[in-house]
Amino acid sequence: MNRIQPRRLVRQIGFLGVAGAAVVAALAGCSSSKSSSSNGAYGFPEAEQRKDSAIIVWVDSTRVPAVKAFQEANPSIKVKTVTYDGSSNGSNSFKTKMALYDRAGKGWPDVVFSSQNNDASWATRGTAGGQAFAARLDKGLIPSDTLSGFTPGALNPCTVDDKVYCLRNDLSQTVLWYNDTLLKQFGYSLPTTWEDYQALGEKVAKEHPGYIVGSAGDTFTPEVLMWSSKCQANDVTGPKAVTVNTDSAECKRMAALIDKLVADKGMTPLSVFTPEFVKEYTGKVLMMPGPAWYAGAIFNNPESLNVPKGQMGVAAPLPWKGEDAVAGNVGGGTWFLSSHSANLAAAAKFLEYVTTADAYQVDEAPGYPAYASAAAKWVSKQEQSGYFTTDLSALTAAAGKVWDGWGYPSYSQEAIWAKTMTPLLTSGKSIEDNLGAWGTAIKDQAQVAGYKVND
Amino acid sequence: MSTAFAADRRDVTRSARSSRLTGWSGRSLIGLVLAGATLFFVIPLLWLLIAVTKTEHELAVRSPFALGSWDTFKANVQQLFEFQSGAVVGWVGNSALYAFAALVITLVISIPAGYALALTEFRFRRLLMVTTLVVMLMPNTALVLPVFLEMNQVGLVGHALAVILPFSFYPFGVYLTYIYFSTSIPRSLLAAARLDGCSEVQVFTRIALPLATPVVALVAFFSFVQNWNNYFLPFVMLPSSDSYPMQVGLSTLLSATPAFNPSSAGSGSVHLPALALATIVSMLPVLILFLFSQRFLVAGMTAGGLKE
Amino acid sequence: MIELTTVRSAGSETPSRPAAGGGREEQARMSNSRGTRQTARSRSIGPLFITPYVVFTLAFGVIPGLYAVYLAITDAQGGFAPTANFARVIDDFRFFSAARHVAAFVVIWLVALVVLVVLLAIVVHAIRVRWLSSTARLFFYIPGALAGASSVMLWLFVLDPVASPVGPLLRALGFDSFPSVIQPSHLPLIFAIIAFWTGAGGWIVVMYGALNNISTEIMEAARIDGASPVQIALHIQLPLLRKWIAYMAVLSLAAGTQLFVEPSLLSQASNGVVPNDYSLNQLAYQYAFDLNDFNGSAAISVLLLVVALLLSAVFVAKGGLFETEDA
Repeated sequence: MNRIQPRRLVRQIGFLGVAGAAVVAALAGCSSSKSSSSNGAYGFPEAEQRKDSAIIVWVDSTRVPAVKAFQEANPSIKVKTVTYDGSSNGSNSFKTKMALYDRAGKGWPDVVFSSQNNDASWATRGTAGGQAFAARLDKGLIPSDTLSGFTPGALNPCTVDDKVYCLRNDLSQTVLWYNDTLLKQFGYSLPTTWEDYQALGEKVAKEHPGYIVGSAGDTFTPEVLMWSSKCQANDVTGPKAVTVNTDSAECKRMAALIDKLVADKGMTPLSVFTPEFVKEYTGKVLMMPGPAWYAGAIFNNPESLNVPKGQMGVAAPLPWKGEDAVAGNVGGGTWFLSSHSANLAAAAKFLEYVTTADAYQVDEAPGYPAYASAAAKWVSKQEQSGYFTTDLSALTAAAGKVWDGWGYPSYSQEAIWAKTMTPLLTSGKSIEDNLGAWGTAIKDQAQVAGYKVND
Repeated sequence: MSTAFAADRRDVTRSARSSRLTGWSGRSLIGLVLAGATLFFVIPLLWLLIAVTKTEHELAVRSPFALGSWDTFKANVQQLFEFQSGAVVGWVGNSALYAFAALVITLVISIPAGYALALTEFRFRRLLMVTTLVVMLMPNTALVLPVFLEMNQVGLVGHALAVILPFSFYPFGVYLTYIYFSTSIPRSLLAAARLDGCSEVQVFTRIALPLATPVVALVAFFSFVQNWNNYFLPFVMLPSSDSYPMQVGLSTLLSATPAFNPSSAGSGSVHLPALALATIVSMLPVLILFLFSQRFLVAGMTAGGLKE
Repeated sequence: MIELTTVRSAGSETPSRPAAGGGREEQARMSNSRGTRQTARSRSIGPLFITPYVVFTLAFGVIPGLYAVYLAITDAQGGFAPTANFARVIDDFRFFSAARHVAAFVVIWLVALVVLVVLLAIVVHAIRVRWLSSTARLFFYIPGALAGASSVMLWLFVLDPVASPVGPLLRALGFDSFPSVIQPSHLPLIFAIIAFWTGAGGWIVVMYGALNNISTEIMEAARIDGASPVQIALHIQLPLLRKWIAYMAVLSLAAGTQLFVEPSLLSQASNGVVPNDYSLNQLAYQYAFDLNDFNGSAAISVLLLVVALLLSAVFVAKGGLFETEDA
């Protein structure tokens, strides 16, 4: 570099800079926001409608049967399927791709399935002053009796400012799973409150070491335990406002329960998806508070615990003494309709079909449907398999009891718990003592995401 | 001690013709280091190979090196290739298409460019070299959006070219070629060719290019590998799943694995051994290419080449 | 072909390099003195050969880079805001811990890479048996073919003391579960190990070739003079590899500051226990695609670029990198 003539190089750089700036200005121009036109009949500015255009549907691989079912029932509607990762595992692909399309001004699909349930927090707000991606559904696109046919509370993740922007695919309400055979074998009775549960857990740890009554090592542990204890860690009060109070009595009581049971080894700090869990606890799970999909993912799964037929039962979620029981919720996907769609009628029909039709939700869906009548039929179908010793009415009861004080902000509560609290659990520290740290982490993340933290 | 050692050495080297290491203490030291390094690099891969013969349950409970069964292996193969009706095959095909097409364009652009930088004179030569260096240091994250907007302006988003064209920009390849040409081709050779009446193009095609085979192989290989393994650019540019390359397809596969994504527990779910198999499938073409081009790679290095 | 390379290689590694490097003017004079009217560098074909590359550089290098800088100094509506974005990202509660993580990683990574790659290259080079040498190089390179999403599952198992092929080693170190292995204090080392595992093989191949470049006469002469293998390595091979090591350091430094893949891998494998904003590059990604704040993201990228440039300049100067170039 010794031989570079500085002046010449500087001149060349200057020339390059000017030329580059011109192109950059052109690029910058194309990312400017679209001028907003007036709202259409459905409550948002509509794109030009073309009645017979094909609709582009984004689904994850588990929901492909839904599209196929729709195509069989509606052969005249043209559907193009795109499979993607469903925005799962923290990939945020749904949000990422829509942000890119917003910048480009074109390219949005008509229908998107997301395995996350907090997408309404960003999809209902336009980026850089542009139009919001999610189309409003409750102003005529979806009939109101369909909307009211969902289990009460199922559409909470989709509702912003009392307007509905998506349809819920499935619910993941938490219930109390238990091994009836083991329970009878040990001579215990099913607990009816959290206090009883804690006492039972301590007893099991003493009398039958190696057996567990629950697990606390998953990223969704706060949604199973803290949510159903009415802990105010995630109280979303407005589109961009949240109240975080992790030091409340409700949070403390559940934290104390977790601490005591983990210390006594009645509850495991391992995640249920690790090899260690499978190795250590096959045949040793006495009971487990957990979401509805534990049935197929953990118990009735040869790759996991593989509990034999006729042993597992389901009980309603537990209350704290003197209170009503509430359930938590771990997941449940949502279907969105694009406000930029050129064929709103077909897309709306698709949305309605995949969330309510028996041909998919009852016959093929792996999870508890969010639509109430489909759910009832799905439950009887599962009962017919004869795997459970009890009926599944607890599932139905819990579905309507999901506590609405835990919201769906744009940041991930699971991620915050995983990086702040799970390491504490696995290294034997106390959750109760560190509730403040948890609260601080949530508040920091909320503020970065643009939320106002209420005092 | 060193003199005694040196005396031993001299005795041994008198009979040794090569410059390689001889002597038992030297050999055992080499052997030890080599064995240790080989174990470090190979053990995880060995595990991966064995993992495709087991079920997910066996992965958790059995010993890591215990072999599974042939039947389980066949079941895993079937599960992988049934996923979305054989999407894996499409992914591999797409990866091959993008990587090869980009490779061809890369070579067409980079080799002449390196030659020009090394052996010709033109106005912005030094600026271009500084720019190339700076561009190589830029974080990828920052470049995604502008490239996406550019591709969108020319209407290429969703088309294979939206992936192939950015892939073909390979400054490391140009730098490599530049260094090779500037250190390994004597200018007197080119001058002699010109004296003999060759035009500039002929000097390049008849003299320089045949001598540049090693660096061509080098640039081709590294460009191919980098593009084969690229996830983010295809993810951004390609909305349609049948145009996904292998790396993006793997993320779809990952999201259908209940171990990483609990909500995917269901009939179409994929289990860990099938994921391991997909990993091996994604590696094979690169390995085959490496084996094939080993000769050129080593020879290319000899003449002063450089890896990215 | 072979003759050319050996002739060249003897010259290219010696300290005096007027013929190999910047003596263009001398060469021009030399060829002029032979009576030709042409300069050693032809002027006519250069622009033609370079134009396609220039177009690509502008399209995919310069313009995106300038756009990123433009984003970093403007706000979301396009108004001029030279410091707002930088202030905002530095104020982020994750910024300094991310910076510390990257710094810790880069230190471990660079030291390990430079020392171990050179050591392994010298060792591999010293193998006499040809098939053994190329097999070793193949084994070292294979992990490099395994990139990104593929390895999530691999590392989930390898780092789990219960199911890992190196389980006994992990248990001997006192870890009995996956969470105990991925504790925050271990992460820089783990990422360095993963990065080394995938990246070292390619560099070993490069260094091996560079070692091939060293003429055998010099090595023989040293041996005859009584130098031990270690002394040969230290006093002959290493100094001649100085520029290669500097190149490796510069490029690995750039890659290291842009740490992204390894933490993302473990973040997926651990379902979030390793956060997805562990490194600065990941933070930039989160800003762009989670918070939809492209300006903040660009600000972080510009900061990373500046740091990489500064540090590279140090290596460039100390390694005498640009002495090889005809800049």
